[in-house]
Amino acid sequence: MILKIIIGLIIGFVFGYALQRTGITKYPRVMGMLLLKDFKVLKFMLTAVILSMIGFHFLGELSVIKINPKPLDWGKLVGGLLFGAGMGLLGYCPGTMMARIGEGKKEALLAAFGMVAGLFIFILYNDFFKSTFLASPIDGNLFAALGVNQWIVIVPAVILFSGLIYLVNKNFSDNKKIF
Amino acid sequence: MEIDNSKEWHWFKGGLVVSLLSIGTYVVFQAIEHRSYPFGVTSGFAYISAQFGSMFGELTETTIVKNYLSKAYLEFFILVGLVVGGFTASKISGTREPESIPATWKKYHGDNIYKRFFVVLIGGILLGVGAGIAAGCTTGNILQGWAHLSLGSIVAGASFFLTAVIAAHILFYKVWRTK
Repeated sequence: MILKIIIGLIIGFVFGYALQRTGITKYPRVMGMLLLKDFKVLKFMLTAVILSMIGFHFLGELSVIKINPKPLDWGKLVGGLLFGAGMGLLGYCPGTMMARIGEGKKEALLAAFGMVAGLFIFILYNDFFKSTFLASPIDGNLFAALGVNQWIVIVPAVILFSGLIYLVNKNFSDNKKIF
Repeated sequence: MEIDNSKEWHWFKGGLVVSLLSIGTYVVFQAIEHRSYPFGVTSGFAYISAQFGSMFGELTETTIVKNYLSKAYLEFFILVGLVVGGFTASKISGTREPESIPATWKKYHGDNIYKRFFVVLIGGILLGVGAGIAAGCTTGNILQGWAHLSLGSIVAGASFFLTAVIAAHILFYKVWRTK
């Protein structure tokens, strides 16, 4: 039990520290990305995705870990659209919300209250969601669905994301005043 | 016009730290808990919601409440760690600027904090319901899910961006129109 508390605290601390130091918790940064004018948040996210993607699948191939992909169902689309609307209204997501509370941004406390209330609604009407959006999930990841070796998907994905980082990095400054 | 972001980490450094955290966490979880599951932020909030749920007779026995209460204990402490991490990072870098609502919001939508609080509350609830239905937030579905090439997360992450970009363009129509 105590081990879980310590591990949880360490994960949160490192994550919160990195998010704050990189500037991902800043309201104008996130809104700047959503207005397609400041891409630092996107570059940070895609860098993390590329490096983790290579690491996860490499360790998976060595059987150090077992990759357990999230299933596809209509909830991913419906929930995703609702979540995105919330993220656009707030200017931050659940992780950065908590780091913002640490930064002294008071409104983030109200957002956290809303998040808990929203998940309470999800719990309360869980039977309804299970019988509709979450019914008949499709298991697996992209390469399993395509029936190919994992690296045949990973290599193009890494090239695509790296290319995207290169393009936005070349065309948009991180230090331009937008607002 | 340029803004001073010299105290921020480079986006690559932030991405590298987060990817090492994601991979490290996954290996640790596999070793100590025998679970093949990445860390996320939504589960921590769901743990709090489930605690509320367990106060109501008929909800206590539902699978969803039991699941969250038994599996998301560690994740609850990630939330605590995030607040401490955000606080420490902002103190160390000297970027701690407490405020009720974002200055950028005030500039375009006025000083009325209740107007912003209303938007924040609605945004928070949408985040909660959406993350519940989509089985994860930006952390679980993009930073982890995209790295795992999960079919579900690819759809969820793309949906996040779609409505978030639309909401941001509506809120900051004037900024969007200026070059």
